[in-house]
Amino acid sequence: MTTTRLDDYPLHPASFDELVDSSHQARPTAQAIARFIQQYGADGLVERQQQLDAAIRAMGVNFTVYAEGQNIDRAWPLDLIPRPIALSEWKRTSAGLKQRLQALNLFIDDLYHEQRVLKAGIVPADLVLNSRNFLAPCQGVTPPFGVWAHICGTDLVRDAQGTMLVLEDNLRVPSGVSYMLENRTVMKRVFPELFAESIIVPVDDYPQQLYSMLASLSPRPGDLPCIVLLTPGIYNSAYFEHAYLAQQMGIELVENHDLVVVDDVLYLKTLHGLKRVDVVYRRVDDIFLDPTVFRADSVLGVPGIFRAWANGNLAIANAPGSGVADDKVIYSYVPQLIEYYLGEKPLIDNVETYLCSDPKQREFVLANLDQLVVKPANESGGYGILIGPRASEAERAATAAQILETPRNFIAQPTLQLSVAPTLCDGMLEPRHLDLRPFVLQGRDLYCSTGGLSRVALRRGSLVVNSSQGGGSKDTWIINDEVDVC
Amino acid sequence: MLMKAVEQIFWLGRYLERLDDTARLVIATSHLLMDSHEETQFGWPVLLEVLGQSAPRLLAPYADAHGRLSLADTERAVMALLINEADSPVSILATSAALKRNARSLRPLLPREMWEELNALDLFLRDSCSQTVSRQQRYQLMAEVSRRCQMVIGVLDGTMLRGDAFDLLNMGRHLERADMTTRIMDVMVLQQLQPTQIKRPKFRWISLLNALGGVESYQRFVAAQTRDVDAIDYLLACADFPRSISYCFNRIAASAKQLPHASAIADSLLRVQQQVKSGALSELSTVQLHGLIDELQTGIIDLHHVILSPCFAINAAQQRSA
Repeated sequence: MTTTRLDDYPLHPASFDELVDSSHQARPTAQAIARFIQQYGADGLVERQQQLDAAIRAMGVNFTVYAEGQNIDRAWPLDLIPRPIALSEWKRTSAGLKQRLQALNLFIDDLYHEQRVLKAGIVPADLVLNSRNFLAPCQGVTPPFGVWAHICGTDLVRDAQGTMLVLEDNLRVPSGVSYMLENRTVMKRVFPELFAESIIVPVDDYPQQLYSMLASLSPRPGDLPCIVLLTPGIYNSAYFEHAYLAQQMGIELVENHDLVVVDDVLYLKTLHGLKRVDVVYRRVDDIFLDPTVFRADSVLGVPGIFRAWANGNLAIANAPGSGVADDKVIYSYVPQLIEYYLGEKPLIDNVETYLCSDPKQREFVLANLDQLVVKPANESGGYGILIGPRASEAERAATAAQILETPRNFIAQPTLQLSVAPTLCDGMLEPRHLDLRPFVLQGRDLYCSTGGLSRVALRRGSLVVNSSQGGGSKDTWIINDEVDVC
Repeated sequence: MLMKAVEQIFWLGRYLERLDDTARLVIATSHLLMDSHEETQFGWPVLLEVLGQSAPRLLAPYADAHGRLSLADTERAVMALLINEADSPVSILATSAALKRNARSLRPLLPREMWEELNALDLFLRDSCSQTVSRQQRYQLMAEVSRRCQMVIGVLDGTMLRGDAFDLLNMGRHLERADMTTRIMDVMVLQQLQPTQIKRPKFRWISLLNALGGVESYQRFVAAQTRDVDAIDYLLACADFPRSISYCFNRIAASAKQLPHASAIADSLLRVQQQVKSGALSELSTVQLHGLIDELQTGIIDLHHVILSPCFAINAAQQRSA
């Protein structure tokens, strides 16, 4: 088969391109997409993008942003050029992601029980015990299968050589999977012919996998479990996803007022009376979960839900306290944790990370602020990040002062040349940086989504892919390269 | 089904029907106007009054410095308040916003196709009903609103799981329809109300039947009757016409059967159904008719409260415990 060239596409000088190699040839996984690009030309692509936007509007796929004190619904941004990954590569990657989650769960369970890992000196005890995500009331609790973090959104990036690396593990309430699913639905509607040309592995078993995983946690095995999704409400930025997943799984979408705890058992208030709840898929942060245990002023929580969980009458996914492993300082120890708990070598590497809590590493960070990316250990959504090479002198000085004040709260990483993919910008295809968030599930079994959500920075040169900060998305295609397609 | 969703799904049905019926009210009155002689003074503010609004208060911002409002300006203002004024509680745009809000909260209960149809309806209304429309465009636009509401209902009927949610949604639709049919009838009655209690003149009801999609079926109904009947009998008591009051009450009775408070709903229905059945309707004067409509509306309000009573009970319990 002859390969397709994209000669007009402006290659990025330093980054790995997901679709095109350095001589403008389309990569093997991108052949069908490259032919499509050639066939349609710039004008045709713009027209197709408009059809795609119209489909998204019609389907009501949106997300909520907070701006000027108001909640505004915005149509979900999806770029029409898919991001292909070979199935052979994906198999290795998903094995690495499952390995990682398994180790993280053993780690969390250990922390809330014997703390062997701290005694063995693998992770410094004060790093864990002083973390605000280490929740003392969780000590001694044993959730089903010893698993705490049931749903993990792991952010992957590629470096300049094209190697996949883990950027961070999101173990609290990771979001984005509904957009991964809706991206595929939209693409199938708008580009049916593209799907005929390659063997693209389907993504739509995720809701069923999620349901099975949640059901496996039920404290009353044998009975049909009652599973609910707990949302902070319609003004939450991820409400679309909460409603979408509840609908896809056929479970109730509830707010705290729909639930009540009686004698350490959680119930749902239904038209036909109270109904016992077995599993809560919560999309409310730990500290708001139960005002009688954590923040007393929480208006999103359910009084008594923590005791119902601790007494084994209820499963909560992710379990309270699992956020202790969702911390960029802990992240730097994950390769050691994999070796300690599983006796295996990590299948996917971390991005090199400097801990500001360590005096030597801190010294290095402060001396090289203009080369590094500095991140708060504990924030999500891309907030509070300093990209050294792009920051002003004043911004760097401010971050240096913060690091000196609370070194535990900061880590630094080299400024990565994130990979790029052709993205339609103002009617032209241009390279834009992107990452990938797969979703990994652990209950009785382990599961990894087929690909994940590819997030793309729409501004030229930008490395920030978060949708709350102007990022877009791409449909991620796991292409079956293991069968011969003619 | 969640207790909270009872109220939301019931209101979803009411809002959906209200959109359709508001469009039909506008069509009915526009036709009435076309049939009128030029010198006839059509009482536009009546449209606001029958929807339970204070016309003088709503129209005040539209008047000139001396508090005057010409007939043409009154028409424009009333139409704006019924169609595109987002702050007007009876406007199509406000109802649409409420509908969308409810649908968002209820998304897990709604089939995907219905969600998309509701979303399309909302987008259409926001695009088309955002500014004042001329009398000429009005009919087209209202007919389209009505048509799109029918599409939502069609998708709903073809895809939604039968159960409490489906029943409550249909109860909401039929209660709203009964309510709006009485209100639309009231416009006709009030337009012709004479100071003396003469029997009501029979004219112009055809435009109303037209807007309710019932002209042809009305003619069949009349042809099949041995006694003297008119459009009032038809709209109130013809149980086979899907927009009659009787039909709506029958549907509510049928939908309520599986609900835990079915007997309370049946009692309330019986009380209001009694009013339609008692007495020869065609003998009523306009004043008596207006009185009957008032009583029906009181019965409809009672029915609304009875249907939602389980939620009120739980809300009160929550307030006590808070």
